[in-house]
Parts: sequence; structure tokens; C-alpha cells
Amino acid sequence: MKAIAVIFGGRSAEHDVSIITAHIPIIDTLLSCEKFDVWPVYITKEGDWYSDKAMNELAYFKKPGWEERLKGLKKVDLSFDDGLTLKWPGMFGKSQKIDVVFPSLHGTYGEDGSLMGLLRMANVPFVGCDIFGSAVAMDKVLTKQVIAAEGMPVVPYVWFLKSDWEKEKTNILESIKKLQWPLFVKPVHLGSSIGMAKVKNDAELENAIEVALHYDNKVLVEEGIEPLIEITLPIMGNDEVRTANCERPLNKTEFFNFSDKYLSGGKKGGGKGANSEYSEIPADIGEELTREFKELGTKVYKALDLSGIARVDFLMHAGTKKIYVNEVNTLPGSLYHHNWKKAGVSNMDLVLGLVKLAEERFEKQKNTTFAFQSDILQKVGGSKTQH
Amino acid sequence: MTLTRWLSRRDPRYIRSLVYMLQASEYDIAHFWRWHERTNDFSAVEKRKKLVFTPKAIALLAIGWLTVPLVIFLSGIAITHHVFPWNYVVALILILELPLFVLFDILVTLALLRLIQAPVEYVLKSRAKQTLASHKAVKIAIAGSFGKTSMREILKTVLSEGKKLAAPGGSQNTPLGIAKFVSTLKGDEDVLIFELGEYYPGDVSKLCKIVRPTIGIITGVNEAHLEKFKTLERTAATIFELADYLNGETVYVNGENDISRGEARESHVLYSREGAASWKVSNPHTGLDGTSFVLTRGDVRIEAHSKLLGLHHIGPLAAAADIASRLGLAPQEVQAGISKTHAFDHRLEPETEGAGVTTLDDSYNGNPDGVKAVIEFLATLKGRRIYVTPGLVEMGARKEEVHKEIGRQLAQAGIEKVILIRNSVTPFIERGLKESGYKGELIWFDEGLAAYKALPQMTVKGDIVLLQNDWPDQYF
Repeated sequence: MKAIAVIFGGRSAEHDVSIITAHIPIIDTLLSCEKFDVWPVYITKEGDWYSDKAMNELAYFKKPGWEERLKGLKKVDLSFDDGLTLKWPGMFGKSQKIDVVFPSLHGTYGEDGSLMGLLRMANVPFVGCDIFGSAVAMDKVLTKQVIAAEGMPVVPYVWFLKSDWEKEKTNILESIKKLQWPLFVKPVHLGSSIGMAKVKNDAELENAIEVALHYDNKVLVEEGIEPLIEITLPIMGNDEVRTANCERPLNKTEFFNFSDKYLSGGKKGGGKGANSEYSEIPADIGEELTREFKELGTKVYKALDLSGIARVDFLMHAGTKKIYVNEVNTLPGSLYHHNWKKAGVSNMDLVLGLVKLAEERFEKQKNTTFAFQSDILQKVGGSKTQH
Repeated sequence: MTLTRWLSRRDPRYIRSLVYMLQASEYDIAHFWRWHERTNDFSAVEKRKKLVFTPKAIALLAIGWLTVPLVIFLSGIAITHHVFPWNYVVALILILELPLFVLFDILVTLALLRLIQAPVEYVLKSRAKQTLASHKAVKIAIAGSFGKTSMREILKTVLSEGKKLAAPGGSQNTPLGIAKFVSTLKGDEDVLIFELGEYYPGDVSKLCKIVRPTIGIITGVNEAHLEKFKTLERTAATIFELADYLNGETVYVNGENDISRGEARESHVLYSREGAASWKVSNPHTGLDGTSFVLTRGDVRIEAHSKLLGLHHIGPLAAAADIASRLGLAPQEVQAGISKTHAFDHRLEPETEGAGVTTLDDSYNGNPDGVKAVIEFLATLKGRRIYVTPGLVEMGARKEEVHKEIGRQLAQAGIEKVILIRNSVTPFIERGLKESGYKGELIWFDEGLAAYKALPQMTVKGDIVLLQNDWPDQYF
């Protein structure tokens, strides 16, 4: 039986959402198929790593006092000797070799490529996007820059760093004012609408920028599309990709805030994870637009060198039907399994499919040459002694 | 003998497990013994059902538990009263082999209970015989390897439209079960319906002598209980004991089953999806919402719709219609009766849950003809079909052929996913699938319960899941 580690939690604002994604559907599905020895690996908000089979149950993280009990456990160490091994130190210490990893971290120190870098060093297959795509997609500005460079449409925007804001506030505000209002202010690296705001006037703008800079040191201000239709499209695959349904999030309020997306949706959905209750799947936009979104989504997926799974978000002007690529999420909450299901992909097909894709990519990478013989060292030392 | 087996026989749960399994195998010692010799872990055998605390079970449990202090006491005596060093050896053997004494005591008690029960049962049976002999009701007896309960339920529903009717419930198809049922009769019933269980040659004939049927129905002959009968000829002969008893009287025979059709005599009435007696069937349709067809006889026309799933139900429904009109029910009553027939417990019972997945619970259907009919039904349905089965039990020497045939039927029907539970028979289904070039996905599970638990993760809206046969605990 293959040992699979599902890594979740993490030093991220989306720490709790990550715990949900890890269990619904990842761990639940991996356990139910009886093909894997599932090792849950939990990273605390402080960055401590723990692994205990009891964490395979979501209930573990709901019981009062679980964080206290966690401190009684031994932290788990990682070893990179020919693959990844989990090691619990101590007199009765044990170790567990891991055959494949399923990262389930949202946001910083996980979805941003950090964990992927670690797993590449460990030389172990892992599910989802690789380091490069993850790092680009995590930065909303970098994403726009790559997308625009590839000739795909993005809404006009301005970006700046915290230090720029402190030094050249007036100049930045000047360039922002050239954009069409209302505007959206977003911390560049955060997901799940955290720290985001829609602003309609100068006072709101400055306030929103201060809030965004509280969460991130890079901020994006972009034009709002009105009237707006949002479309989000989950995609999976490596070289060959498969799209799920175009999904239209239906906002209860004017803006989709964090609690709307996860908390109220979660309550209503009874543990379904993401906001399946407030979506139209498939979006009622007609065949032609659906095809257009799917083609554009696939192009984005390739342009960012994504693999495994991702979700591409679009904005569309409801009147002119002009489409813009908004952002890319390399680990959609709960893998957007509610959408995949409606596309005929069961949790089992989705989760096991992703594991298979991870193994395929790993095999392919093995055949890529990363090192070559050179005599540069000899030349460096040799030339000095000769002269 | 593994360590697990040795240890689990010394687990306090062992006693309860023994009694549970005796009950589950209907106190059939041979069957129980095979289970006992095969079982490795006695600590967790109550998986599908739980022990029912009947007086018999309580008595056996009590004896089992009383044996423990008794043996400990005996070993104490051995230590104090015998010659050194053998006294210690005897005491040790007594203690270590305690489970053997428990098993022995329980089986001896069971034998004694049978001795006491025999005269009681005899009185019950002769009383039942007398009651039935003087009862004026039309008595219908159903015999067959499969489909008896379906036939009984169809008849009950259809005939209830115009007649006062009684029939034993569940599987009260043994002499004692029938005798117990007869004691509950009021005497004013118009129709009595009996299922005749067949376990050994002569069983059906014995039951006929108690029931004295005037109408007989033979639902078919196949490999069910073949392990007990050894050959299909012996099974057929036992089931046709009903026709022998009813010599010259009305006997309906399922014309869709090869063996029963072959054994049918000229005077018998064959029923099938084509019709029954002079009733002709036309325009048959089936789907997840039920089965429709038109019954005609001369000028009489009945537009029938039943909630039962599958064309294979048309034959029994037509037979029921013929019996109903024979007993004087009007065509409208027959039509109303048929419209009330529906799937019953775990026999192709459809259920569509919130997620939009339709589950067809056919877990009580464990015979090759039933399986064939269900796969035939699945083949007509649209949507992704998922077929889950641990295979069939008690197929005797026909085990390999029956299961390969299921594999072939599944492949031909183009079932998208087949989930097999790993055991001694399912590899034959796999072979059948491969032989027929199965193109779908084959998924294995070690445990049926784990497969059922995984189904929500494997399905999406519009999927149709068929749960075919669930092995009772005594077959594991």
C-alpha cells in the first residue's frame, strides 16, 4: 500500500480552510478507496509540524482543547534521504517513508511554491502545481503581467510596494485616479478575499490601501467591471487538460467577503467545503461564451505552466460580454469538488486522478537532465597554479 | 492455527460470537461448524446483524458462561486432588482449553433443546394441519429456488383488492414457521399464501401435507442452495414435489426459467413476459419509475403499471392477474392491485438521495436468475451504472460457471464500473469480464462495508448504483 502524506494547516490566513480542504474531499476519499496508507501532516499557524493518524478525522480539529493536546505530541521531522521520510524522534521513535505527497495548503508558505520547493528537494512526487506556476499565481500582479504578455486580456491596474506607498503616496494616488471607478484594492498574495475591498471614493480608497498593506507589502488596485459577471473555471491535467463547469458565484451582498465565501456557505452546505450553495453550475451564459472561457482558461493554465489542478477566475462585463482573466488559484478550496461532481467527476476520480497526474509528472521529470559534466572546477584551480 | 484465532477464542466475546453464529445459520450445525473452522478472529463477527436475545439464545449464552467458572473450579480440584506433577498439567490443560469446553457445552445444550422441542413442534404442526384441513380458504403454495418472496408479495398486493388474505411474513417457510403462522389465523380468510422452503429432498412434499394447497406456483429452479442439493436435478425434483402433490390441480410454472420450463407438464400453466394462460402481454416498458404493459384476454384489456423494476416482473404479474380473475376479481381490481405492487425490502428497491445518485438496493437477491434479470434491467437505463457485488453464495460445483457468466453479462451490458469484493468467487467474475472484453473500470475492495462507505466518494449526480447481494456474516 502506498504511503501518502496530506499536508495542511500552515502559516497562512487560510489555515482553517486548508484543514477543511485536506479532509473534504482529500483524506476522506483517500481513506475510503483502501489503496493508501494516509498520513495527515498538520502545520500549525506557528509553523510546527505534527503527524498523527488521529488527524485523519476532521473532528480532531473541532474538539475543544485540541490545540493544547497537540502540544503533547512529538513534532515530526522530515528526512530527505532518497525521497521523503517522516521521522518521530525519541527512544521509541519511528519513521515512515512517504511515496507521494498531497499538499493541501492554501496561501502563503504552501500554495505559493514554498512547499513545492521543499518537496522537489526531497525528490518525492507531489500533487498539484509545481513551484514556478504556484509562485507566479500567488502574486496577482505577476499573474497579470504574464497573462498580459501572452496577449490575454486583463483589467487595467496599478501596483505598488509598501515602501513605495510610504515614499510616493501622491504619485501612486495620481496614477490610480486615472483608472475607471469603482476600484478594487487587493493584497497581492492573499486569497479568499481577505483584506480586499471595493471602493467608490478617495476616502474609501486610502482606507482600503491601509488595510491591504496591513496584510501584505504589495498591493494591487484595479478597475472594477460593472455590471459584472464573475466566472470561475476549475481545470485539471498536466499536458492534456480537462475543464470542469464554468461556475458563476452568485453574491448575496455587493461583494463576496470571506465569511460569505466560507462561513455562511459552509454552514448551509453542511461540510461541503467551498461555497457551493451560492453558485450557478454550469453558468447560464450560453454555449459560445462557455467555450470561450474554457479555451481562455486552458491558455492561462499553459501560460503559467500549471499542472495537477488549478482554478482560473474571470471577470466579464455583463453588457459588452468582454472577458478578462482575473486571477489563478493553484489549490481551489476543497478542490472545487462540488463543481467537478457536476461535471461527472466523482471525488474518487478527482483525488485519485490528481495522485496519478503527480506520479506521471514525477516520472517525466526524472527523464529531464538537471546536471551535466563540466571541467570548470579543474580549470579554475588549474589555471591559477599554472600561472 | 494463527495466534489471532487462538487469542480471540479466549476473548470473552467468543461465547456471544458462537451463539450469534448458531442463530445466524439457523442452528444448522454443519454450516456453523464450517464457519467455526474457517474463522480467524472471533472477536468481531457481528458485522451485519446483532444477536437477537431469543429464549434459545439466552439459554445457550447462559450455558456458555456457566462453563467458565465450572472449568475453573474443576481445575482447582485437579490441583488439590491429583498426584504431583500431573495435577498441574491437567489443571493447565483445563484452563487453556476452556473455549473447547464452552463450545462443547453449547452444542450439547442445543442438542438437548432439540429433544425437548421435538414433541412441542410435533403438537404445533399437527394442530396446524388440522386447522388448515378445515379452513375454507383457497390455499396457494409457492415453491422455487428464487423469486418466492416476490411472487408472494405480488399475489398479496393484487389479491387484496377483492379478497381477505393472509400470508406468513419474512421467511416463515419451514414447517414450524408455517405452524406458528397458522395459529394466528382468524378463520375468515378467503386466500392463504404460503412459501415452501426447500433445503433437503422431501421438504416441499412435507410442507404440502401440512398446507394442502389447491393452487401451486413454481417460480423456477437454479443453483440456489446447490451446496446442499449437490445437483440441479435433485433441486428440480424437490421443487416439483409441489406439482406431484397437486397432480391434476392448477400449477403455474415460470416459463422464463429453462429448468422449470423443461420440467413443466402439459397441464401446467406457463407464465412469462409474453403472458399467462390466455392473458397476452403487449407494449412492455420498464425504467426507474416502474414497469408498464398491456394485458389482454379477448375483449378484456388491462393497462397495467407496476412500481416494480424490470421486465422480468411481468411474468409473475401476469400470473397474479390470471389467479385474481380465476378467484373472481374484476379487471379494474386487477389493474388497481398491479398499480400498488412495488419493490420490497432490499429487492431492487430504488432510492434517489439528495446528491442525485440512485441506489438500487438488491442486496437480498443472491441467485443467478435474479442477477441476470437485474443486469438486463440495468442495460436499459441511461446514466453511469456502478455494480457492486461480493458474488453469490452456495453455488456448489457451479460456482465458477455462474460467476463467469455474471462477468460476461456485465461486460455485454456495458456497465461502466464494477466493484468487486475480494473473496473466493469474485475472481471468476473478473475472468468473465475479461473474457468478454470488458471496457469499463474494475475496482476491488477487501470488505463490502468499506465499498458501501466509499460509494458517496465514487458517485456523481445521475449515477445509478446497484448493490447486488450482501453476504450474511456466516459466509465470511
